[in-house]
Amino acid sequence: MYVYDSFDHAFVRDRNAEFADQVARRLSGELSEDQFKPLRLMNGLYLQLHAYMLRIAVPYGVLSSKQVRKLAHIARTYDRDFGHFTTRQNLQFNWIKLADTPKILEELAEVEMHALQTSGNCIRNTTTDQFAGAARDEHEDPRPWAELIRQWSSNHPEFTFLPRKFKIAITGADRDRAAVRVHDIGLHAKPEGFDLYVGGGLGRTPSLGHRIKTGLKGEQLLSYLEACLRVYNRYGRRDNSYKARIKILVAALGPDEYARQVEEEWESLDKAAIDAPAAEIVRIRSFFPDPDFKDAKFDRVAYERAQTADKAFARWVKNNTLAHKRDDHVSVTISLKPVGLPPGDASSAQMDVMADVAEQYAYSELRVSHEQNVILPHVPKADLYALYTRLDAANLSTANGGKITDMIACPGLDYCSLANARSIPLAQDISQRFADANLTDKIGDLQIKISGCINACGHHHVGHIGILGVDKQGIEFYQILLGGRADENAALGVITGKGLPAEAVPAAIERVVQLYLQLRTSDSERFIDAVERLGRNTFAEALHEPA
Amino acid sequence: MSLLNSSHTPQLVTTDGEIIPDGWTLLADEETTGVDGPYVLGFDRALKELDGLNGHYGIRVNPGDDVRLLLPFIEKITLIEVSFPGYRDGRGYSTARILREEGYTGAIRAVGDVLRDQLFLMLRCGFSEFLVKDKDPVQAIAAAKSRFSVFYQGAADTNRPVWALRHTVES
Repeated sequence: MYVYDSFDHAFVRDRNAEFADQVARRLSGELSEDQFKPLRLMNGLYLQLHAYMLRIAVPYGVLSSKQVRKLAHIARTYDRDFGHFTTRQNLQFNWIKLADTPKILEELAEVEMHALQTSGNCIRNTTTDQFAGAARDEHEDPRPWAELIRQWSSNHPEFTFLPRKFKIAITGADRDRAAVRVHDIGLHAKPEGFDLYVGGGLGRTPSLGHRIKTGLKGEQLLSYLEACLRVYNRYGRRDNSYKARIKILVAALGPDEYARQVEEEWESLDKAAIDAPAAEIVRIRSFFPDPDFKDAKFDRVAYERAQTADKAFARWVKNNTLAHKRDDHVSVTISLKPVGLPPGDASSAQMDVMADVAEQYAYSELRVSHEQNVILPHVPKADLYALYTRLDAANLSTANGGKITDMIACPGLDYCSLANARSIPLAQDISQRFADANLTDKIGDLQIKISGCINACGHHHVGHIGILGVDKQGIEFYQILLGGRADENAALGVITGKGLPAEAVPAAIERVVQLYLQLRTSDSERFIDAVERLGRNTFAEALHEPA
Repeated sequence: MSLLNSSHTPQLVTTDGEIIPDGWTLLADEETTGVDGPYVLGFDRALKELDGLNGHYGIRVNPGDDVRLLLPFIEKITLIEVSFPGYRDGRGYSTARILREEGYTGAIRAVGDVLRDQLFLMLRCGFSEFLVKDKDPVQAIAAAKSRFSVFYQGAADTNRPVWALRHTVES
């Protein structure tokens, strides 16, 4: 992974010193909460319903064992002994004391981490494929490009007061696991250069990004992004924060006109002053080599025997591992979605276990996925059973990767000051309803995504089944969407009929799922395929059938 | 962004940390340009009249104005006032960078909601004067200049981006 040099260290040190000064001014009363707010937001510090929440940046979701141990230490020392992995591939601590934040940032800096630009109207953490560098269908490793963008966007002097926040995602594989078409800018690396999508997003006005550029050379990526951002900074709406994302500008101008303005701006830029030279790209790339793959003898007979002997292990292998570019390795998903517990949470003890097993079996490398799980990208098959046993002992072996209980949920009304409804308890109720492993496996791949308000942090528009919490005269209701997906065939789900009270949602989903099981042509027709073949209405009726 | 400071009377300070007097007069659109300038003209008026005017002028550029429209008259302009009606409106940063990219070498002055926490960004974008609301504008400029030692991107100032420092060509 990327390793800071003296420049990177100095940058974080300068920024932390600035923030420590701002916190001191707030604690002494020199700054009021109103005055402090924009300053703390630029450092990822939110004031939530009950406490301060600190959002730690995990650039493109990549973590080392050492960093995860530090996060565990912070959870233990400064929070309530757990952390929450987010859909931005970041980590949030929900119970932070303001006075502790400078010390926490100092501790993070020791392991080359920070909380910069995890909030505010600036360029946020660039996200990517959690299987980058490991997946079989990858032709370009997106991580060096994400790092290049991270550096370029850090404290960008022109783009710190954009009309609204700005999110970039990048993938380099055939299958899009980074959801690039629902980001402000999505980049898809192809052999001939980048395809660039603009104006995708969720929130109040969900839309899919438009491809405005193909064949963009990596050496010119930064200047092109600079042109895209400048047109947005100058002409994006600022009169209404709900209409300020770039998707609104692109829709108003039309993608062709926006693209024309970007090209014109790009031509006027001094590209050589903006684009990092080839030598810098080579330098950054040099931090992302393959690990020193163990050529441990893989005993296929023993591996299969272990699966025959331990059905739970066999099920976990089936659901939670992905083919690796090397036949003797796999990528492992550590599910943070155990039945009945909040999605994405991990205790400090669990974080320590994940750090330890990564060190012992997975070249000390971990990833956060936007599905709120933790990934070990490179695991020798020979070590898989030993790894599984360790995870199982720490309640980290839930075998539901990509399944109906592997839900995304935002923090919702339990934590968030924007939410209209609770998300986590509903996710818990649904996972209880589908706790039967045989049923889960029979249903196959099905993504449920839950947001507690229309800001859509739980990505409900791109869930195969999306759930949106709304508030009607003080009562929580949930609208159900069907048919969304965030992959290379991205589509937005559509709301089906009236909202349901929380207690009716799990049964409604079960009816839809039972209908799918009746109607599917075979086991290999996934839920989303069936919805597309038969139409949403077929399933919408089942949702609203009286119980 | 520190609103406490915004209660102070604005003072004009340069990049070098010098407090300077403001010798310019902002003309309302109906006022005639007399002989005792120098005058700052509104943006729309400047576009209409600069062609027929002699001498040197200051121009007030608001966030929605396309500063490139001034380029045909740039030799008659020695001051551009970029207004920030609120510090959250970041359009003025692009305005300043475009001016420097197009080779404008006159003064670029930030006016309006200009607070100490923004100065570092403005310095990087090519501003040269700041009508800043702060109890100690000289110290505010000094703090903005010393706050960071590392810059990740090329901008309108003389700070070299980190990648240039990492790959210095020995000559």
